[in-house]
Amino acid sequence: METIVNEYISRELVSQPDLLPLQNDTPLLEHGILDSLSLLKLVLFLEERFSVEVAPKDLVPEHFGTIEAICKYLRAQHQVQEVQG
Amino acid sequence: MSLHPWRAATRTLTSRCARLCGPALALLVLLPSAALAYLRRERLPRQHRLLHEGTWCRLELGLYHVMIVPLIAFLPAPMAYGIARLQGNWRFRLDRSKREYIMYGLESVLGDQLSPAERTRITRDYLRLSSCQAVDALRLAGKGRALARLVEIRGREHLEAALAAGKGAILCGAHFGSYDSCFSLIGSLGLPITAVGRRPTRLNKDWTFVERMVFRLFIQSFLARHKQQPNIQPRGQLESAVQAAQVLRQNEVLGILIDPPVLDVDRPRAVPVDFLNGQALLLPGVTTIAQLMGTPVLMTFMRRSADWRHQVLEISPPISMEDDALTAFRRCLAVVEAAILQNPAHWHYWGKYALMDLGLLPKEQEPA
Repeated sequence: METIVNEYISRELVSQPDLLPLQNDTPLLEHGILDSLSLLKLVLFLEERFSVEVAPKDLVPEHFGTIEAICKYLRAQHQVQEVQG
Repeated sequence: MSLHPWRAATRTLTSRCARLCGPALALLVLLPSAALAYLRRERLPRQHRLLHEGTWCRLELGLYHVMIVPLIAFLPAPMAYGIARLQGNWRFRLDRSKREYIMYGLESVLGDQLSPAERTRITRDYLRLSSCQAVDALRLAGKGRALARLVEIRGREHLEAALAAGKGAILCGAHFGSYDSCFSLIGSLGLPITAVGRRPTRLNKDWTFVERMVFRLFIQSFLARHKQQPNIQPRGQLESAVQAAQVLRQNEVLGILIDPPVLDVDRPRAVPVDFLNGQALLLPGVTTIAQLMGTPVLMTFMRRSADWRHQVLEISPPISMEDDALTAFRRCLAVVEAAILQNPAHWHYWGKYALMDLGLLPKEQEPA
């Protein structure tokens, strides 16, 4: 999961080449990789690729601050969906 | 033809109110104006005089919004908008700094495209329109019918066709005419609309606390009434684009204005684009969202007629979203520019400082 998310962010959202290769603990917000629009792109990708639904209230630095945090959030969402399903 | 007793009683009451209110309103408007005239006669040094005038003009404007507009808004339309236009005329005569800033902005941006007489006429109309817009906002009270019956909507079929496709619709406009009442009016027709827009906060240094409070109490509450949910605030918030996408996913309407000056926090994402004989720094987020969500973008403007009370709300067919987001954004901006050049007085950003923030005028040097 980390590899897929890292590849997508590196390919589509990183505009400064000096930030590559991206580490899984690189702060995405502090480095300006994620802003409102790039976050929308990422959310649409994650929803399609991992079949999860991301609610606007979940869009906080705690869940989207790093690639590790994103993957942790996705795993938690999967668990929630399995319990609900 | 005999009128229904209830309607006849309402008419009688309205005409009596109008007769009684007339002199009271005239007094309310005339008092601050007389004070201004007195200050003018007093031969104070220019700097002091402008300071005094500025204070009085703000006071008069506050009085207009808090006392006069609520009194006149529901009078018969010719009278309500007639008084509003009169207040605009007064502001043109008395608010020297505002008048000079707008004329300077028009001259700097449009140059020889306007003669001095045209610049004067546009500045007067600009101030008249801004007085009328306050009346528009109040006429949205209740079901908004008081405003709706004065507005002819053209191109509603484009909006309905866009919603029938199931991916929502983006109504894209500019700070042009009664832009905010325009979105609320669409909401009052039963079309679910959410607007993206910044509301004045402490960050707006040109607004005083009292002005912000007056705006919230006397304008914002009426505008918000017909919208689906509170405005999405694009003030550097992380979730604003996703919130906008949520609206479109629910097959609702999203209203966005594409011409506001960018905030410092958004400057790294802003792009320079050709606009009004210069390069403006703007955010092309609207077309990025439209392309990501596959949503059609319709241009929307509300123009006031020559009689000052009737308006035309025009919704265009979808704008092409082909090519990259920036190219599509330039297409939208070209439509905005054409509307502004056709009716310059309707555009809100002719003030000197707004043009500086947009990048259309060079920033003034801060005094050492």
